Amino acid sequence: MSNAQPIPQQDPEADARSGPLTHVRVVDLTDDRAIYAGKLLGDLGASVVRVEPTDGDPLRERAPFHTSGVSLWHAFFASSRSCVQSDDPAVMARLAQSTDVIIDCQRLDDPGALLAANPRLVIVDVTSFGRSGPWSEYQATGLVAEALGGIAATSGDADTPPLKLYGDQYAFVVGVYAAIGALAALRHARVTGQGQIVRLSAHEALCSVLEHVLMWAWYHEQLPFADTPALPRRGSLHWSNAYVVMQARGGSIMVTPTPDFQKQLAWLLEEGQGAVLLDERYADPANLAEMIALTMSTLRDWVATKDVEAFFHEAQRRHHPYGWVMTLPEVAANPQLAARDWWTSYPLGDDRVPGPGAPYHFSQTPWSVGAGGDGEIVNADEALDAVGWSD
Amino acid sequence: MVTFEPTTGPLSGVRILDFTHVLAGPFATRVMGDMGADVVKVMSATRAGLAGGVDHPYHTMWNRNKRVLQLDLARDEARAIARRLALKADVVIDNFSVGVLDRWGLGYDNVSPEHPGVIYVGMSGMGVSGPWQSYVTYAPTVHALAGLTYLTGLPGRNDIGIGFSYNDHMAGLHGVVAVLSALEARHSSGRGQRIDMSQFEVGVSFSGVALLDWFANGVAAQPVGNDPAWEPWCPHAIYPCQPDASGGDQWCAIAVVSDEQWRSLCALMAADDWLVDPSLADAAGRRERRSEIDARISEWTHGQERYTLMERCQAAGVPAGVVQTGEDLATRDPQLAAAGMFIGLDDPHPNLGPLQADRLPLQFDRTPATVYNRAEVWGESNHVVAADWLGMSAEEVDRLQSEGVME
Repeated sequence: MSNAQPIPQQDPEADARSGPLTHVRVVDLTDDRAIYAGKLLGDLGASVVRVEPTDGDPLRERAPFHTSGVSLWHAFFASSRSCVQSDDPAVMARLAQSTDVIIDCQRLDDPGALLAANPRLVIVDVTSFGRSGPWSEYQATGLVAEALGGIAATSGDADTPPLKLYGDQYAFVVGVYAAIGALAALRHARVTGQGQIVRLSAHEALCSVLEHVLMWAWYHEQLPFADTPALPRRGSLHWSNAYVVMQARGGSIMVTPTPDFQKQLAWLLEEGQGAVLLDERYADPANLAEMIALTMSTLRDWVATKDVEAFFHEAQRRHHPYGWVMTLPEVAANPQLAARDWWTSYPLGDDRVPGPGAPYHFSQTPWSVGAGGDGEIVNADEALDAVGWSD
Repeated sequence: MVTFEPTTGPLSGVRILDFTHVLAGPFATRVMGDMGADVVKVMSATRAGLAGGVDHPYHTMWNRNKRVLQLDLARDEARAIARRLALKADVVIDNFSVGVLDRWGLGYDNVSPEHPGVIYVGMSGMGVSGPWQSYVTYAPTVHALAGLTYLTGLPGRNDIGIGFSYNDHMAGLHGVVAVLSALEARHSSGRGQRIDMSQFEVGVSFSGVALLDWFANGVAAQPVGNDPAWEPWCPHAIYPCQPDASGGDQWCAIAVVSDEQWRSLCALMAADDWLVDPSLADAAGRRERRSEIDARISEWTHGQERYTLMERCQAAGVPAGVVQTGEDLATRDPQLAAAGMFIGLDDPHPNLGPLQADRLPLQFDRTPATVYNRAEVWGESNHVVAADWLGMSAEEVDRLQSEGVME
């Protein structure tokens, strides 16, 4: 039994600025590429002001919508911040004097001047491909970014096109890196008093989260299963050949004999399966690939006889890392999330709707979701008043 | 032996005691090591898994910029050394199953009374509570349970899912956010804290918009292939291009997200009939005729070399991108080459030889992350870490090694 006690989840009535970043101010000048950074920091308690163009924030028009007309896309990604509307450089200059961090997607004309005026300032400069280089002027939507970044080539199957991931995963990847850049540079500024500019290319960020892909390109000659520098698309089959989605009765399940093939074999034998795997030749590492292939085919036949829900729990009771393939309504009803009181509520106009809770739980400085703000048109003084930074 | 270079990164001076393994946790500590933190990775030869051996490229990919200390934590003396290390650390991080560090006397409740500034991050699969707290996960497990496997696919097809361990990387990156946030809180309060991180909960949050749509509107998200999940943008797909020299398939994404881009694409394709067709003037109209549009674009792209096609589209203001493999990224991508994204490490691995690395994508102009030390092998830094962190003599380390404590 663990000594670790559950950390209380969010109190919906709690002060929205109770998190670990309560003393941090952030100006959010992002578009879809890095808007998630503001959510991460705001949900952790930072005071975040999003400066929208006076002709409106196009992200407020992103589907899907609540019946009130509010964009659910915007409600999720733009949570926990104040919003003002301004194109006035004087507003930006005043905010830059008062903030710790600016996260920008190419709206600032002269970040160096802002840094000169506030030497402790951290500016995170997010671009699609960087400020220079042959593709620096290219346009990238999520689909294009995931294609160029190596994600699409790695998802899909032999008889399908390459696939992007569901939803706007590129925004999560770029946003979390932007938040890391902001917080790391902020720590340096806290220690030394010196701010700086942090540059982040979305293309480079996506290339860095591909697990085996670069390993395959660089070391395929040293890997036991690799004979080409790029692994073809092959559905759910993992690069190790030892994880795959299989069909059970009533649903599908991700099955793997890792990390302990012997324990998996013992379970198979217990149920009268897999005796062929006892052949001594499979104890020889030289026959590892053949052993894995035979194990997986044995598992596939066996899994097909199982009722998925009970089978999943029995596998996990035995500490096999199987994963029941769940639809989103099934995720929404997940007993683990319910038991941890994980869901929080998102403000949508006068309404509140359940939504995803914290990706981490702090024992002393709880996380919480605040509203996304309405976007009031302001001048410089009003902007500081609106976000509570007048002092 | 690796000679660790001094670093100028923004986390210089931060000490991290790293009990993580496989990918999620090691990626978190790799990123912090890249940014200058002094990461000491505690390894045990008795816990090396299929991909955990130090001579596997998987180890070298995720464990650069760390110093490896070998400890057999099944032994009391090794656990006592680990506890002394924890008392010197700013951050202790693990992705063991829940309760392992506690059982070893190394948990937050054991260490924080003597060291109230310490920050603990537990990156377990399911978190420290709930009926599934003992469930074990790898990224494919989380993808399945979190809805990501179901949703990343094509309508009417069996589950395809994500072709790489996406959630491991993302859990690692969220772990870094958690650590840095706790360091910021400690800067003002002087106190550390414990962070309970469930990799499953991280994965579920990536369907945030779809979950709000479910709770607010009762809409159950379905796989959509390469269509946008919610917008009517069209055309928006990945199209076949001229096969490579060996006949392998090649692809290019084209994503039209405005009517102006649609007109540009029509001009590029010399599709004058589409340009004047009022039913195609907006995205909703084009969506109605998506099959026809995709078929004709595929016919147009099929004979074109993929990079040339992309360049033509981008020059015309149409977002387009080649579907790049890892080999393409490493050898053909001119943007990454110009940016110096890939580097050869100076110090060859004792058994694998020369190593490659992708540098940190964050570029700090005042505190650059320019130091990339290769992943170490078993116990490579036993002496220097024991001296740096604990002031132990070489003779004492020799004894611990000979007695199997540092093994």
